[in-house]
Amino acid sequence: MAKQARMTCRRAIDLLADYLEATLGPEVATDLEQHLEGCAPCRAYLATYAKTRAVAASAARAEMPAEMQQRVRQFLLKALKRA
Amino acid sequence: MPERQVQGPTTRPTEAELVERLRAGDVHALETIMERHASRVYRVARGITRTDGDAEEVVQDVFTTLYQKIDSFEGRSSLGTWMYRVATNAALIKRRGKRATLEVSLEEQLPTFRDDGHREGERSFVLADWSQRPDQELLQGEARRAIEAALDALPEHYRAVLVLRDVEELSNEDVAAALGESVASIKSRLHRARMALREHLTRFHHGATAERSQ
Repeated sequence: MAKQARMTCRRAIDLLADYLEATLGPEVATDLEQHLEGCAPCRAYLATYAKTRAVAASAARAEMPAEMQQRVRQFLLKALKRA
Repeated sequence: MPERQVQGPTTRPTEAELVERLRAGDVHALETIMERHASRVYRVARGITRTDGDAEEVVQDVFTTLYQKIDSFEGRSSLGTWMYRVATNAALIKRRGKRATLEVSLEEQLPTFRDDGHREGERSFVLADWSQRPDQELLQGEARRAIEAALDALPEHYRAVLVLRDVEELSNEDVAAALGESVASIKSRLHRARMALREHLTRFHHGATAERSQ
């Protein structure tokens, strides 16, 4: 069986998205967790990566203003009448 | 004995019924579909175009397209998925010609590594951890502007994936279906987009911390 690639910071960071979604195989997840235990920069990276996902989603989530909804509705009704 | 609720003509129409009515030219069906889907179409459009004006035009385009091209909707995916696809394409088209003014190369925003696989950079930077700060602090004032600037700087195809995945919370498979791409390509782009944002925000927070300690 092929030996897993040595866990480096580069490889650890490559795996973070799958790690957060819990889709890594158990062996790889264990290797990553062992690396994180001994690597403060990667722990900081994981924490800030997860937080980035959360704050960016909050910042990018825009609700449609009620008056815009009304305008779009009027626009469409007019356009459909013309058609 | 409690009275049984009778389901009358007020029953919420199914998606298939609305599509059928729309095919028959029923404008009220379009209004009902708008009530159900306009918010998400707007969120996607606003997230990708980054302006209210462009987002409004995209919403108009999407529902006009829906009405005009409902016959080409074969029902292989849900109406929601179909609308995500149309909204994403319309928003990406709207962004054409604007990209050079706002976006910077993604490569400049990704972490770099030494030959031995460790991260490059000043020790205080690679150890910077701002994740424990309260959301209120991270989402207001200068910090909020830093997030907005980081989102603006993402190339649009990366931002589209980020919006569909992290804002709309679609699965990788649904994002891949909406964009007509492979799951592997969506996952790779999503990870790179998040890394670029993280780098941008870490530069901002690390810089702010360094300024405070001087």
